[in-house]
Amino acid sequence: MDGDGKRHRILMVSDFFFPNFGGVESHIYYLSQCLLKLGHKVVVMTHAYGSRSGVRYVTGGLKVYYVPWKPFLMQNTLPTLFLTFPIVRTILIREKISVFTLADFDQAICVSHTSKENTVLRSGISPQKVFMVPNAVDTAMFTPSPERLSCDEIVIVVISRLVYRKGADLLVEVIPEVCRLFPKVRFIVGGDGPKRVRLEEMREKFSLQDRVEMLGAVPHAQVRSVLISGHIFLNSSLTEAFCIAILEAASCGLLTVSTRVGGVPEVLPDDMIVLAQPAPEDMVRAVKKAIDMLPGIDPQMKKLYSWDDVAKRTEIVYDRAMQSSKTDLLERLPRYLTCGAWAGKLFCLVMIINYLLWCLLEYLQPTEGIEEVPDIRLVYAHLESVNDMCRIQSEGN
Amino acid sequence: MNSERSRIKCRPKWRKVAYGGRQPGYDDNYTDESFLEEMVMNANVVKRDLLKVMIDSVSISQYLCIVALVVSTWSYTLSLVIDDVTLLKLDISLLLVGFSMLLVTTCPFSLKLFSKYVLNITFFISGLYVLAPIYQTLTRSISSDSIWALAACLLLVHLFLHDYSGSTIKPPGTHNNPKLTSNISLNASIVASVLVASRLPSRLHVFAIMLFSLQIFLFAPLIVFCIKKYSLRLHLIFSFALMVITLSIMYQLHRMFFILLLALIVFISIVCPYWLIRIQEYKFEINGPWDEAKLCFDITE
Repeated sequence: MDGDGKRHRILMVSDFFFPNFGGVESHIYYLSQCLLKLGHKVVVMTHAYGSRSGVRYVTGGLKVYYVPWKPFLMQNTLPTLFLTFPIVRTILIREKISVFTLADFDQAICVSHTSKENTVLRSGISPQKVFMVPNAVDTAMFTPSPERLSCDEIVIVVISRLVYRKGADLLVEVIPEVCRLFPKVRFIVGGDGPKRVRLEEMREKFSLQDRVEMLGAVPHAQVRSVLISGHIFLNSSLTEAFCIAILEAASCGLLTVSTRVGGVPEVLPDDMIVLAQPAPEDMVRAVKKAIDMLPGIDPQMKKLYSWDDVAKRTEIVYDRAMQSSKTDLLERLPRYLTCGAWAGKLFCLVMIINYLLWCLLEYLQPTEGIEEVPDIRLVYAHLESVNDMCRIQSEGN
Repeated sequence: MNSERSRIKCRPKWRKVAYGGRQPGYDDNYTDESFLEEMVMNANVVKRDLLKVMIDSVSISQYLCIVALVVSTWSYTLSLVIDDVTLLKLDISLLLVGFSMLLVTTCPFSLKLFSKYVLNITFFISGLYVLAPIYQTLTRSISSDSIWALAACLLLVHLFLHDYSGSTIKPPGTHNNPKLTSNISLNASIVASVLVASRLPSRLHVFAIMLFSLQIFLFAPLIVFCIKKYSLRLHLIFSFALMVITLSIMYQLHRMFFILLLALIVFISIVCPYWLIRIQEYKFEINGPWDEAKLCFDITE
């Protein structure tokens, strides 16, 4: 475990984590697992989910802090940030995450080239500092079905939250048209949301009850079984930075039809995806092309994406970030002023308040008083005796 | 150095894709020349012409003059300069003028539409006459100052939220979809009229002033829209005539109001268009493939 190269202590902060399931959650989870395997120490900090609050350990020794954010009147981010500051500082010191004060970021990671363009434009950060590291998919969980489905009846699967952003309105226009043009096609729609009512109405209006099956909310564990029952995966979202759903579908052996938005054109090679403009006519054309392409597809997901590769590339970014010079607060303040006429001054004010708060907390709860967590290294090899285990644990302290 | 250059020369072409891991020969933070190639700037910005903006602003000053005329009629009635019979005559003449304008400007003259209007107006007038006693005693226990203050505030709200573009007015007979703010502004003007009318002594006074106010607030936008649609020149002549009449009446009413109205008209017609054109240069819109796609069809619930 004494790897060559520096061993980092990483804190992942996110609003979204297990028990929620989604793109961000799975990204953090899988990335953390791979980073742990590479020898780094990873801790995740998120907000408490109902009664799930405090410190939990998940697979692989990943430590998760479920912090109970104190509820604030207007759900403002600013006061919440200040109220949770003591907890954040305590966690940072306990886990020995090396950071002085709330540093502004040196490097950034984006999940697609389009997302990188958007980030550089909106934040004004230099493009050299933005790294493109994509998401990946768990190819062990999303495997294709063992036997190929028969091509007499073509099944199109849609699994997404039925909201405006994910193009549920496009679905309402596309599904009846496709059912009219191709009598052999059947739809399976999984997911729930405010637009579900519109889809039900569409089903009633065009009498498609036997051709469109609505599953409702699909638990994450059953997503694969729904996916492998289809030939084509339809994604109609209006905006996406990356879209992991497409990867999961391709990993299960489906051909994807998607709208050409955001980072979607970069995700899959042309023989696994058919792109369309977010307009009903073009999407119907794309579905037709996909149906014609269906007999000849053969997805090879293992070569395209893997979480280990993502973790290694992320590690390079961390190394680069640690190398760049640590600047003093006073040197950083003028940089904030350039963010905008009003925004720059606001950022400076926030940073100064943060710094003063840090100094106050240093006085009230000194760093020396906070107990640091010892580095426990999980052993993956099978141990011969209890003595070995004790020896390794004492070495780790 | 040479090996570095040769490494760079024989690396494959960079592709804008996310699959396949890190592209050999390129770092993850490599920025290609095609970076931000698909960005479009100021795609939806309309180039504005000063004269056109000034002509468009005439609608706003015209409506302002109409409201000023209503207010001056109210103040003359409240000080009993105009008596109820004169007011009734004014109402009837306004009604006839409005009707004739409508008939002149809507080219296909349909008897069915005309009769529908006459029927509606008859119901409206009789309803108002029946309800006039209620309005008369509505605010008897409230002091005059509160009434004037409230009426002034409501009129301001009405002016701010009024729909000057006429986009919520569709040709008579079609189904229209009014916006929330135009509803609020209409309600504010009606409540203001009721408040002012309730201060008058006799029932006939109340009925006459209510009829006058409601005629203007409910039907003036429609008439103005029809005139504007019919001929721009007629619209401009009408507006200028209206402004001259209003300013002369205001001059006789109160010097301060006259100066205020004149200043407002100058501000709206001259200063604001110039200001708009000046700051239009700073407009900076960025669009690109990262934006949320817009649906090309309407969502019918």
